[in-house]
Amino acid sequence: MPELKLLLKHKARTLDEYRRIGGYAAFQKALAMDRQAVIDEIKKSGLRGRGGAGFPTWIKWNGIPKQKTKRHYVLCNADEGEPGTFKDKELMESTPHQVIEGMMIAGWATQADVGYIYIRAEFMDCARAVKSAIDEAYAEGLLGKNIQGTGWDFDLHVHLGAGSYECGEESAMMSSLMGERGMPRLKAPHAPLPTIAGLWDSPTLINNVETFACAPHIIQNGGDWYAAMGASTKNSRGTKIFSVSGHVNKPGNYEIEFGTKLSDLLELAGGIKGGALKACIPGGSSVPILNAESVAKAVIGYEEIGEVGSMVGSGGCIFFNEHTCIVALMWRTAKFYMRESCGKCTPCREGTDWLFQIHDRIIKGGGRPEDINLLKQICAQIDGRSFCGLGDAAAWPIVAALKVFPHEYEYFIQHGKSIVDTPQSKLMFPYAEPVPV
Amino acid sequence: METIHLENSRGRPKAPNPEQVELKFSDQAVQELEALLTHYPDKKSAILPTLWIAQREYGGYLPPEAIAEVAVRLQRSYAEIEGVATFYTMYHVGHPVGRHLIEVCTCLTCQVCGAYRIAERLKAKLGIDFGETTEDGVFTLEEVECLDACDRAPVLQVSDAYIGPVDEAEIDALIEKLRSDPGSGTIRLADEIVKAQLHANEQRDIR
Ligand SMILES: Cc1cc2nc3c(=O)[nH]c(=O)nc-3n(C[C@H](O)[C@H](O)[C@H](O)COP(=O)(O)O)c2cc1C
Ligand code: SF4
Ligand code: FES
Repeated sequence: MPELKLLLKHKARTLDEYRRIGGYAAFQKALAMDRQAVIDEIKKSGLRGRGGAGFPTWIKWNGIPKQKTKRHYVLCNADEGEPGTFKDKELMESTPHQVIEGMMIAGWATQADVGYIYIRAEFMDCARAVKSAIDEAYAEGLLGKNIQGTGWDFDLHVHLGAGSYECGEESAMMSSLMGERGMPRLKAPHAPLPTIAGLWDSPTLINNVETFACAPHIIQNGGDWYAAMGASTKNSRGTKIFSVSGHVNKPGNYEIEFGTKLSDLLELAGGIKGGALKACIPGGSSVPILNAESVAKAVIGYEEIGEVGSMVGSGGCIFFNEHTCIVALMWRTAKFYMRESCGKCTPCREGTDWLFQIHDRIIKGGGRPEDINLLKQICAQIDGRSFCGLGDAAAWPIVAALKVFPHEYEYFIQHGKSIVDTPQSKLMFPYAEPVPV
Repeated sequence: METIHLENSRGRPKAPNPEQVELKFSDQAVQELEALLTHYPDKKSAILPTLWIAQREYGGYLPPEAIAEVAVRLQRSYAEIEGVATFYTMYHVGHPVGRHLIEVCTCLTCQVCGAYRIAERLKAKLGIDFGETTEDGVFTLEEVECLDACDRAPVLQVSDAYIGPVDEAEIDALIEKLRSDPGSGTIRLADEIVKAQLHANEQRDIR
C-alpha cells in the first residue's frame, strides 16, 4: 500500500501558506458547532492517542467537566523523546499551525482558558516555528481575548523543557511545567484523572502533537470520513506517521493508513540497506523487538501488531540488517533507560542499573551462564511493579530480545564475543574489541 | 560508582549566605522574567524558564550565585531551586562548560550508524572524554540520548543546531569552525530558549 498523506500532505510554515491550504477553516467550523458536537465527531472518528498508549482521544476530551468551576487547561505533549521517533518534530517544523489549530479546537470543546505546548529544549527549530505561528495567530485574533466575537478567551504559551525523557510521561510533564523535578504523580484509581485534577489541580487535557494535528481534519471532513481509513483493522482508524530509521535506504517520516503491512512500510523507506533484514523495533525503543519472520507477517494496527508480539507505540520504527548484534543493541537500550530513570521508585531506579551492568559485563566478554535467568528475573520484578510506564518500558525490550534471539545471548556469554562477527557489527561497540574482565 | 565529596572541586558547591546574594540579572532579563511570570498562575511554575534566563546571564552555567538569585527572585528556597536544576541534563549546575558543547547521540539508530566511531574521533581530536572540558575551556563533549532526529543518524547537537548525518571526515573541519567562532554557543542556546517562550508583543516591550 502506498503512503496516505493527511498530516504530512503540505508544508506550510506561515499563516498565509496555511490559509491557502484551507487552514483554520476547521476551527471556524468548530466555533459554530456545539461543544459536545465537536467531541462527538472525535468519538466517531475513532481517533486514538498517538503519543504511545493509543488511548481513545474522545474519552479524554469528554472527561473535562462540562460545568466549569475552575480554569481549564490544554497541554500538548511535544517532548518527543522516544528513541526512534521524529514525527512530532516534522509536524511542528513543517506545519506548526496544524498543531495549534488542533489545540484550539480542543480548547474550544473543553472550555479551556490556557494552553501550553511543552517542547523539549533540544528542538529549537520546532520551538521557533511554533512560537512564530503563535505570534501570527495572536496578530490575527485567532488567539487572545474574545476570539472571533465568541466571547471565548484562549491563550497559548510555549514552554520548553530542559533535558529529560521522563518529562514525556504525562504526569511528570505536569510536574515539570509546574516547576518541579520531572517526576510522575500518583494516578487513577489512587488519584483523580488529569481531566479532573491536572495542572494546578485543575481539569487538564493532555494529548500528543500528532493527536492534536488530526483534529482539524476530523472536524473539517467529519468523523465518519476519518473512520473510513483503517477500516480493515479491528480498532485503529485514520492514518499514522511512522518515523523510519536504521538500516534503510530512505529514512524519514512516512504516513500510512492503518492496515498497511509492516513490510510495505519498509519498502516505502527504500528497503533494507547493507544486508538482509534481521530485526525491527516497530514503535520506539520501548516496544518488543521483532525478527524478520514477524516483520513479514505484521499488519500495522494497535491490535494487529499485538498479534506478532509488539506494539504501535509512538511510531518510531527502526529496521536492522544482519550485521546487528542484538546483545549490543539491548546493552544500549538498557543504558538509555538507566540514564533516563527518574529515580522515584526502587524497581526502576535499581533495576535499570542492574540490567545495564549485566549487559555491560556480557559485551565485555565477562558474561556468566546464570545471567540470562538473572535478566529475566530482574525484568519480571520491574514490569508491573514500577511507578510509571518507564520501568515497564525498560523491561519489555529485553524480555522480547531474550525470547526472540536467545541464541545470541547464549553465544555471547559462552564465547565472550558476538555471534555476529562482521566488521559492520563492530561499529555498535563503544570498546573497539570486547575486552575480557 | 563515584562517591561525591562535598569538598571535591567537582562536588556540590556551597550555597551562598542569603544575606550575601547579589542580584545580577540585566534589565532585559528582569523584564523577560516579568513577562514569563504572566504565563503561569504562580511563581513556582516559572522555575524552569527562570533557570534558562540565569544560565544565559551567568555565562552558560549555573554557579551557586545563579541558583540563589533564581531562588530570591521567585521566593523559593535555594534547596528547591538546586533540586529542580539538577534533575535536568541541560542545566549545567555548579561547574562551567565549554563555549561549545558538542553532544553526541549514541542511542539506538545512531549506534548502528556508527556514532561510537564519531565519538572516538571527537575524543581523540579534543583529547577529552565524555563529560570533560578542554583545558582552554572551548569544548565540552557529552554523550546524549536520542535527539529524535534518527533519520539523520549519526547526529550531533552543537548548541542550538543539529548536525547530521556526520561522518568521521567532517569532524576535523567542524572543530576548526567552532574553534574560530569566538561566541559562546552555550549562551546562545539559553538565549534562544528564553526568546522562544516570549510572545511577540512581550518582546516588543523589552528593551
Ligand atoms: C516514559 C514515558 C515517556 C513518554 N514520552 C512521551 C512523549 O515523548 N511524547 C508523547 O506524546 N507521549 C509520551 N508518553 C505518553 C504520555 O504519557 C501520554 O500518554 C500521552 O502524552 C497522551 O497523549 P495521547 O493520548 O494523545 O497519546 C510517554 C509515556 C511514558 C511512560
Ligand atoms: S518507573 Fe522509573 S521513571 Fe517511572 S517513577 Fe519509577 S523510577 Fe521514575
Ligand atoms: S538515535 Fe540518535 S537521534 Fe535518535
